[in-house]
Amino acid sequence: MMSFSDFTTILPLVVLTAWACVLLLVDLLIPRNRKGITALFSALGLALTLGLTIAQLGRQGSGFNDMVVLDGFSVFVNALLLVSGLLGVALAYGYVKRMGLERGEYYTLLLFSVAGMMLMAQAADLIVVFLALELLSIPLYILAAFARPKVESEEAGLKYFLLGAFSAGFVVYGIALVYGATGTTALSGIVAAIPSSSTLMLTIGAALILVGLGFKIAAVPFHMWTPDVYQGAPSAVTAFMAAGAKVAGFSALLRIFATAFPSLGSSMSDVLWALAALTMIVGNLIAISQSDIKRLLAYSSIAHAGYILMAFVPFGNPDVRAVSVAAGLFYLVSYAITNFGAWGVVIALEKAEGRGLALDDYAGLGRKYPALAAAMTIFMLSLIGLPPTLGLVGKFYLFRAVIAGGYVGLAVIGVLTSLISAYYYLRVVVIMYMREGEPTTTSEPYLNMTTAFAALVTVIVSLVPAPLFAWASSAVLKLF
Amino acid sequence: MTISQIIFLVVAGFTLASALMVVTTRNLIHAALFLVATLFGVAVVYAILQAGFLAVVQVVIYIGAIAILFIFAVMLTRRDMRDRGPQMNRMQWIGALLALLIFIGLSFLLSSWDGYSAVAQEMPADFDTMGRLGEALVSPDAYLLPFEVASVLLLAALVGAVYVAYTRR
Amino acid sequence: MNNEWLFVAFFIVIGALVPIAAISVAWLVSPKKSNPIKQSTYECGIETVGESWVQFKAQYYIFALVFLVFDVETVFLFPWAVKIGQLGLFAVVEGIIFIGILIAGLVYTWRKGMLEWS
Repeated sequence: MMSFSDFTTILPLVVLTAWACVLLLVDLLIPRNRKGITALFSALGLALTLGLTIAQLGRQGSGFNDMVVLDGFSVFVNALLLVSGLLGVALAYGYVKRMGLERGEYYTLLLFSVAGMMLMAQAADLIVVFLALELLSIPLYILAAFARPKVESEEAGLKYFLLGAFSAGFVVYGIALVYGATGTTALSGIVAAIPSSSTLMLTIGAALILVGLGFKIAAVPFHMWTPDVYQGAPSAVTAFMAAGAKVAGFSALLRIFATAFPSLGSSMSDVLWALAALTMIVGNLIAISQSDIKRLLAYSSIAHAGYILMAFVPFGNPDVRAVSVAAGLFYLVSYAITNFGAWGVVIALEKAEGRGLALDDYAGLGRKYPALAAAMTIFMLSLIGLPPTLGLVGKFYLFRAVIAGGYVGLAVIGVLTSLISAYYYLRVVVIMYMREGEPTTTSEPYLNMTTAFAALVTVIVSLVPAPLFAWASSAVLKLF
Repeated sequence: MTISQIIFLVVAGFTLASALMVVTTRNLIHAALFLVATLFGVAVVYAILQAGFLAVVQVVIYIGAIAILFIFAVMLTRRDMRDRGPQMNRMQWIGALLALLIFIGLSFLLSSWDGYSAVAQEMPADFDTMGRLGEALVSPDAYLLPFEVASVLLLAALVGAVYVAYTRR
Repeated sequence: MNNEWLFVAFFIVIGALVPIAAISVAWLVSPKKSNPIKQSTYECGIETVGESWVQFKAQYYIFALVFLVFDVETVFLFPWAVKIGQLGLFAVVEGIIFIGILIAGLVYTWRKGMLEWS
């Protein structure tokens, strides 16, 4: 019989899913030109779920025979995902109206996607990981194609779908091999079965799972889809996708590798090392030549996947695992918040038919809209990792953890690529302040609130980072 | 060689041959029909493995719904069913080499697995596969959560499919 | 060996043989005197116009799509339904939740006008 504690481990998830299902039906009653009501309802659902998630702080447990776990890590990640969902709704509220995309499905699909991401953060069984992966991805495929019949958006949706389905195939094959080697899909069972199982098969299975999830987090060399999808998808969707899918993908990777495969640390760490280094180098180098802000941010998102992967390299080393997981989580927060802010500015400048997206369209922004330009400057500084921003603090913790893990070379690559990235991020700032131009922007209350919120958090938390880092440090993974 | 081995070889050959035809035939409808044959071959393999429920599911879902969807999609989008473009490109030899390497690698991997040479046990005649599955799907100690998540996943997919395919305003 | 499946195989073989036999017999014994009228699609009907490969109406596809989703649902529900007598109230509630979630999808499609043929 199911005990009540099974249920309470995933209570926020259940509430959010039920809310999404009901919202799908409620939306049918809302007249076509009043879909803002659906947006408010979805935000309400996310806020309620956020409250329930925060109430789970400090609790530990597992449910459904170890299919899902509740631990500090999952609470932290879920809270971040829900905030991302809220910011995603806030960015979309005016944007979809302006672009003529206002449909109730947007918000229900977004809720389903957040539910999938939350399940991914709590999943402790490879079957649940796979289901969560699909539940978060399918709504994202649709959202990427949401501006259909616009060709770019359709292309983005189709490309994302095809490559996403392909990568899901890798994940399933990896799960099958892990199952073949250990005879179970539960992470707890895998840990127990590892001493008596075929290492070769297990390693290849784990590598295939890494490849599949590597697609989701846009790590090089599985990043090919990212620029086109990020560019073609509606900007509000891209903002949510860049933050949410990355956070969920990393949380699943961290949980699977740190709890089930720590014994593969010696062989997999080198692979992860190369993956992280390659992702940072390629992402940052290609970003230099971009002249479209959406593509620039897409390559920036690839590069940041590389930085977060750094936190992941010492996963098999129990001495530094805790501090590197904490640094990774902190960096995810810093990236997610900065990312939403930067996309908020992009959305403010974007006009119909994809105009207002070239870097040249930012010329003169500093003179005409000083507040917006100041906010964009903060986000660019944060993406580089310069003071006084969250990006600096995040990189500091990250590099410290990586060096503590004994990977000095990787930290050096991280610092050097950050220097390279300064070139293209600062170019945006230079264009905004040094070049003459007549930019026009759209001012919408929720959009402005999101951008201002992101800018304030980026600056203020960087001045007092200790509480957030303390929370991230206490967000430990439940080990089996 | 036992009878079941002979049956397996015949079925496997049939499945592989039709899979090859799927990618080589130039008529898209024929390709879809060969796909049906391939999927049917897989269903027979399930039946040989005594996974009766999976065999039926394979026929019901893959042949009954997905292959039909394929055929609909082909008929919807293409006025001309014959593909006249070249079937190979410059990378064909590299592709073939890669496929061969992956095949050899996977064969090696699977042959090193200790379950590879194990002989499957005959299931008792009164073994209630379907009942066991039904119990597992709704038992909180087994697959209750994936079962319900699957339902949510189907709902999300349905909403998405309807949104994408829907043309009327 | 898999006796239950031998019946199925038997039926498949018979099902394939009967039409093959009928066609072969017709081909063997029928007189082969061809002329243009006999070669036309309908020997005593309207002349066909254009190709037989025509584009389908998009609506078929949407129906097939909706059907697919509920087909998968059936597969999940089938083992549950077989065992429903022995499973107890709790399992029944779970099944109802499963169906309920998908009914939300059905209501959605219906209200969106997707189930109407136009």
